[in-house]
Amino acid sequence: MANISFPFPFPVISPLLPEIILAVLAMVILLWDLLIPKERKHLTALAALAACLVTALAVGKVATPGPEAAFYGFFVLDPFSALAKVLMLVAAAFAILLSIDHMKNEEHVGEYYSLILFAVLGMMLMAGATSFVTIYLGMELMALSIYVLVGYQRNVLRSSEAALKYFILGALSSGMLLYGITFLYGVTGSLQLIDMGKALATVDGEARSAVVLGLVFILAGLAFKVSLAPFHMWTPDAYEGAPTPVTAFMSVAPKVAGFVVMIRVVVDALPALNADTTAILSLLAVVSMAVGNIAAIAQRNIKRMLAYSTVGHVGFILLGVIAGSNGGYAGVLTYMAIYLFMTMGAFALIMLMRREGISGELIEDYAGLAKVRPGYGLAMGLLLFSLAGIPFLGGFWAKYAVFAAAIEAGHITLAILGVLFSAVGAFYYIRVVKYIYFDEARVEFNLNDNKLLQATVVLSTVAVVALGIFPEPLMDLCRAAAVAIG
Amino acid sequence: MEPLNNALNFPILTLATFLPLAGALFIWLFVRGEQAVRWTALAISVVTFLVTIPLATHFDTTTAHMQFEEFHRWIPAFNINYQLGVDGISMPFILLTSLLTVICVISAWECIEKRVKEYMIAFLVLETTLIGVFSALDAILFYFFWEAMLIPMYLIIGIWGGKNRVYATIKFFLYTLAGSVVMLVALLAMYFKAGHTFSIPDFMSYAFSFKWQFWIWIAFFIAFAVKVPMWPVHTWLPDAHTEAPTAGSVILAGVLLKMGAYGFLRFSLPICPDASQYFVPFMVVLSLVAIIYISLVAMMQEDMKRLIAYSSIAHMGFVTLGTFMFTQQAMEGAIVNMISHGFVAAALFLCVGVMYDRLHTRLIADYGGVANVMPVFAAVMLVFAMANVALPGASAFVGEIMVLVGTFNADPSYLTVSAKWVAIAAASSVVLSACYTLWMYKRVIMGDLVKESVKSMRDMSVREFGFFVPLILLVLWMGFYPQPVLDVMHASVVHLIDQVNTSKIDAAAALAQAATRTAEVAPSVAH
Repeated sequence: MANISFPFPFPVISPLLPEIILAVLAMVILLWDLLIPKERKHLTALAALAACLVTALAVGKVATPGPEAAFYGFFVLDPFSALAKVLMLVAAAFAILLSIDHMKNEEHVGEYYSLILFAVLGMMLMAGATSFVTIYLGMELMALSIYVLVGYQRNVLRSSEAALKYFILGALSSGMLLYGITFLYGVTGSLQLIDMGKALATVDGEARSAVVLGLVFILAGLAFKVSLAPFHMWTPDAYEGAPTPVTAFMSVAPKVAGFVVMIRVVVDALPALNADTTAILSLLAVVSMAVGNIAAIAQRNIKRMLAYSTVGHVGFILLGVIAGSNGGYAGVLTYMAIYLFMTMGAFALIMLMRREGISGELIEDYAGLAKVRPGYGLAMGLLLFSLAGIPFLGGFWAKYAVFAAAIEAGHITLAILGVLFSAVGAFYYIRVVKYIYFDEARVEFNLNDNKLLQATVVLSTVAVVALGIFPEPLMDLCRAAAVAIG
Repeated sequence: MEPLNNALNFPILTLATFLPLAGALFIWLFVRGEQAVRWTALAISVVTFLVTIPLATHFDTTTAHMQFEEFHRWIPAFNINYQLGVDGISMPFILLTSLLTVICVISAWECIEKRVKEYMIAFLVLETTLIGVFSALDAILFYFFWEAMLIPMYLIIGIWGGKNRVYATIKFFLYTLAGSVVMLVALLAMYFKAGHTFSIPDFMSYAFSFKWQFWIWIAFFIAFAVKVPMWPVHTWLPDAHTEAPTAGSVILAGVLLKMGAYGFLRFSLPICPDASQYFVPFMVVLSLVAIIYISLVAMMQEDMKRLIAYSSIAHMGFVTLGTFMFTQQAMEGAIVNMISHGFVAAALFLCVGVMYDRLHTRLIADYGGVANVMPVFAAVMLVFAMANVALPGASAFVGEIMVLVGTFNADPSYLTVSAKWVAIAAASSVVLSACYTLWMYKRVIMGDLVKESVKSMRDMSVREFGFFVPLILLVLWMGFYPQPVLDVMHASVVHLIDQVNTSKIDAAAALAQAATRTAEVAPSVAH
């Protein structure tokens, strides 16, 4: 991109071009929606989809092989954040596709789609943030948008309840994060991650205790955002109460953003405290894998089950961060990309199960699905086996990537615990397969035949199978992106 | 890289592996109507069987080298390759799999009434994964097939199984999954240790230190012992066997159990020779427990399928015993035993299936005097009952006598008692297997015809008789003239025994020394 020279010092903004485009488009859509009559609100959705597409193309256009800083080093564009941004945009696009049918009878559709776009904007800022200020701004933009999205069905009690719980706990975690940042700022005198890292390298004595304290608060705040146990309490309630497309969205996109921030903070700001971060993160990983996979067994609502499953999955993903190598960071992205397809497919199917008088959210509702709708049964079966990490499906390579990195870094015990908990986790996935394939239908199946949702399911399932057999292109992409880190 | 050793210059293993899968896809997409599905599935399984025959006819019995090799890069980032090949140990199992699948398809002809299409698809997919396991030479490819096998088997037991099928199939799934995930960790650790390779031949030639071998061996042991299954992790098998549909039990007993023992032969022994020697006493004890204790348990079973399931565990005890004696006779006997058990246990499950189709009960007490109404069937079952007892003339006799003689002559350095005592203890199985098999035969087939329900049983149909014929012929052929089978495995077994008797410890120490030397040299070069 040509460098335009200004007569006065003007910050470099070209790396932020995709974010700027998205911000403008989101506001335009918000206004444009006022002109659209109620029965043609799907046009807003299409515009939002187009915005995601344009932004993704812009990300591809401005992406450079090396890191490129903007705003005096408050923001960076590198292949790692570029790939993460594409993942967030794909997740948002999926969420919008899922919403069209779901939201057709709701009020204020325009705001809904704009909020999704603003949430993505916040995440994209987080992905490129190299200063705690930018991280915090991006995170709040994301979180505030998602609080509203969770409570979007105002007249549904559990939706409002979920939003309130999420908001209170989310505000608390933001506070913890800020509190932690103040410790680090106080000791180092900087909010830039890199400068902080340099200053921390020489810190010892009492100042070091303050730094460790700050570190604990920061990691706790980040752990909350990616729903790592024991900071996962909000997850099941928010997942259950949120409109299903929002659940699908928030189970992937904020996690991508959270992990990118976590990786950047660990690599740039905290290399001097490697031993402490590794210890804390290992503990979080083990607790998450245990809590997520064991608590999921007891769930009867499939959205709650998938919420606990997310807790388990982020525990696995954290192994890639703990590995602390390019392979590990590549594994995080690989896992996220594959997880995106599995989750979107599963939630699209959950929405297809919604019908007259039945929410389609109880696991029992799936009894006999394979007999009545073999196609739905097969797709759900494949997605669930993939989530369980059985080979020839994408989920296997997702786990493979992070476990390989953990083992390479010498974390054998963590890897063994990981595979054992993934075996425990297989139980609740195959239990749903049991309902789908082994049980007789107990209620009349009068299913939703929305073509858009069906297309989403087909797309995700095909992606999961294709990635299971040929994971190479995705793995290469992620490895190439991860070279930029560290 | 060496040129590929493929006498046919044709990717025959790929064809054999993926033909059933392609057939399953074809059935899923294009075939409508139950009868059409059955015939198409039969045609596919027969063609697959025919495709595997050249593996035997063109097999070079003079070499232990892998044959019919294929190599394609798959995931270069992790050096994972699509590497196939068979030797004298794995080749027979591919034929066993393709043959038993044909029999399974025929046996399901009438007794599977619901969801015929899905059933046939599941079986063909299962065949792909099983042939893949036996032909994979890349550890991740092996793991891929090994785990993928769980999905069709889970569905086969869970959908078409008996009353308690859901419990049995979930138990089966979780046991085997939990066992094999640890193997994945071991494989990954080996990948980084042995210089970024997943090739099984590379693993075999890499000198792992004893400490590494020890842990790798344990990880493999967990995976394979569950699959064999060995006491005390055998408890999934009686449930799975009992609840599975007849053909499911046939493929479970016939092929799936062999995967575990095959794993010991393919991974544990050649990759961890020192650890394998070290664990001989442990394996001997577990094998003897399987042979003696499980035989006693088998005797007390009231359900015929459960009885045969326990008998399978006892017979697999012979296999693990023979495998860990490291004499040529014992190891060849173990492999013959595996193949023979593939025929005999499969046939016995089919026999129970024939009776179950008529009376819908598997309890021994519900039968009695069947010979009066089903004379042909009684004769057929007698053949297999005798084969299960390892009567001379049956294939099992060859296997068991070879294991016993091989054990008697063995001299494993880690075993504190003389191997003769082990052989003598194992020989008790000859009596015990006769007890449980013949007692069951007596209670079911012999005696007076008193039960009304039994009186109504009609003798076997031509179709039913049809699938026993090849099994009878094979059992007798291997019993009287096992030489061709032994010839096939001979070179590979000799090579394997050589591998397991060659310690890797010295080579590993040299390797470690060389590594420290380069590490010492490296900094001075860097500066």
